[in-house]
Amino acid sequence: MKITRRNFTTGAAAIAGSIPLIRPMGRAIAQVEPIRIGWLAAMTGASSAPAIGFDRGVHYAAELINATGGVKGRKIEILTRDTQGDPTKAVNATQEMISQLKVHAIWGPTNSGESLAVTPIMARANMPNIHPCVVTALIDEKKYPNAFRTSPSLGQWDDSMRAYCLNVLKTKKIAVLGDTTGFGSAAANFSVAAFKKDGADVVYAANIDYNQPDMMPDMLRAKNAGAEVVVVWSTSTGMDARLMNTRAALKWDVPFVGHSSMSSGDVANLIEKREYWNKVYVTGYRSCSYDTNGKLPPRTQEFVDQIKGKVKLSDNLLWWVAGGVDAVNLVAKAVETTGSSSADDIIKFWNSLTKYPGYYGDYTFTPTQHNGYPTEDVVMSEASSAKDGAFSLAPGYKA
Amino acid sequence: MIASILASGLAVGAVYALIGVTYNTMFSASRVISFTTGMLGMLGGVFGSLFVLRLGLPIWMGFALTLTCCALIGVLTEFVAVRPVLKSLDQHLYVLTTLALSLMIQQLTATEWSTEPQRFPRLFDIGAGVFDEKFWLPVVACGIVMGALELLYRHTLVGKAFLAIAEDNFAARALGLPERNLRIASFALAGAIGAFAGFAGGELLLAFVANGALLNFYGFVPVALGGLGNNRGAIVAGFALGIYQQAANFIVGGIFASVAVFALFIILLLAAPQGLFGAPATRRV
Repeated sequence: MKITRRNFTTGAAAIAGSIPLIRPMGRAIAQVEPIRIGWLAAMTGASSAPAIGFDRGVHYAAELINATGGVKGRKIEILTRDTQGDPTKAVNATQEMISQLKVHAIWGPTNSGESLAVTPIMARANMPNIHPCVVTALIDEKKYPNAFRTSPSLGQWDDSMRAYCLNVLKTKKIAVLGDTTGFGSAAANFSVAAFKKDGADVVYAANIDYNQPDMMPDMLRAKNAGAEVVVVWSTSTGMDARLMNTRAALKWDVPFVGHSSMSSGDVANLIEKREYWNKVYVTGYRSCSYDTNGKLPPRTQEFVDQIKGKVKLSDNLLWWVAGGVDAVNLVAKAVETTGSSSADDIIKFWNSLTKYPGYYGDYTFTPTQHNGYPTEDVVMSEASSAKDGAFSLAPGYKA
Repeated sequence: MIASILASGLAVGAVYALIGVTYNTMFSASRVISFTTGMLGMLGGVFGSLFVLRLGLPIWMGFALTLTCCALIGVLTEFVAVRPVLKSLDQHLYVLTTLALSLMIQQLTATEWSTEPQRFPRLFDIGAGVFDEKFWLPVVACGIVMGALELLYRHTLVGKAFLAIAEDNFAARALGLPERNLRIASFALAGAIGAFAGFAGGELLLAFVANGALLNFYGFVPVALGGLGNNRGAIVAGFALGIYQQAANFIVGGIFASVAVFALFIILLLAAPQGLFGAPATRRV
């Protein structure tokens, strides 16, 4: 067809006239567009256990929301990438989620090593991010205004553990043992400094290679130094079990207090006798703990009843599943309340939350505080009391 | 404290010594230092736990199967990682091939077994405290292996053939010895020795994938100190290393014990580069 001046003018006018019609269409597309949540999950590799638990919660929540019509008609779409616990893979997956998958928010990673690598990348893209990683530096409201923590920080864990040692167990002479990993040494150093600040006497502190076959040297030194409690910061179940076996070999009735890896089922397989697991108290959460009457808090019990037969808890921790559900719900709630899935609106909504009732915790965020988990709900649990993924409160807590 | 240092030191020392002997057995037949050695030790523990605890087989059968499986992995090492690079030994390509195979074994074990340490069965349930079987079993295993190797090398024709190819494989081949088959047999024997180390030390080291890298590292120290290819030197150096390491654990503790071990290792190698029991290198002119 020959293009004449008249044809061109008519065509241009038609296009200009149709723009007001196209805009609402775009809005309509956005209204039915799924809410895409990126899920950085270490589903395989050394730190896969928590991610498997979180994953069950994530999919349960997404399926539940989608089954009831979605969020204002928009379905939740979970886009999972297995990072294998490797920061390099986590970086690649994050970049893919931001630039190709165009996700609206990211949940994860679930370990601090990966999170340290991807947090600045997400901050540059202003990507709304929730994670459960403990390292203090991961939350910085000025540098990373997009990053929100739904689990306690290392400092909150340590505060709870220290309060238990000093106020409940009434111990004053402390031994602190960490493994030689980045987490183990950072946590042990943090503990030593905090105990000293609170006037306690740190009689022995050491970092132990988690592969060391014999824990006798360090345990003997701690005993000879007069320690009344041994604080253990390690994620190695082998080291935990060896410490418990050595405590028994020394016939030393000292309590162990520390990281929740001491409550892992792997420890039960490695200790020589079941009773060696007694007097071991680990960091836990009030929302996922049985009280002295053996009951869970009402909201948690309601959640457990709801997921019964649908989500397996016997080989997992309840707080992992609940944390996964809460992460999806936090994104869904932001879109539902603001009517938008833009990054700025999601972040603004999260910054306005006060005691948002999740299953794992009541989260509070402000523009200047992105550590959302309530410190008073971080408690100590009895390591050997696991039942359906939850633990009994350690002795000394009120029902 | 001294009893504890001796019990634990001799036990880990025996495991290091046996891993050193495994290195030497492979080296003698091929002039290759294979980094799959530590993995064989690790697999000794993993297979032992798998066969006896998970599959519920009798201990003797689990032991025999463990040795057989690791012997086969030894043979696989010869086929996959050693034979292709034998013609270019001077380029040390075996470092790459054996390290690659070692990493593959480690990853496969982590994926199929566990990344967390697993329990190893109690074998005889004898002893307690410093006389617990977990401390003396590796020492007994070390004695058995040394006795058996002495018998093999000194009193059997096959053993003498092994020594012949270790001494000069060109001359041995010229005399009609089946050098390739003897090398395969050496790698199978090395696999079984590594497995024995891991099985005997399983109660102490547990069935744990991370033991592979640890044994690769600490098992090589007796080889370097005792002189490459010298089994007696490796045994003496292995026990010395175990006791010194455990004493350092008690005296300086924690991470400083490893520093103490490697500081001494470097000083000794500076003083005697050929190892404490090795002969200085000579060159034919």
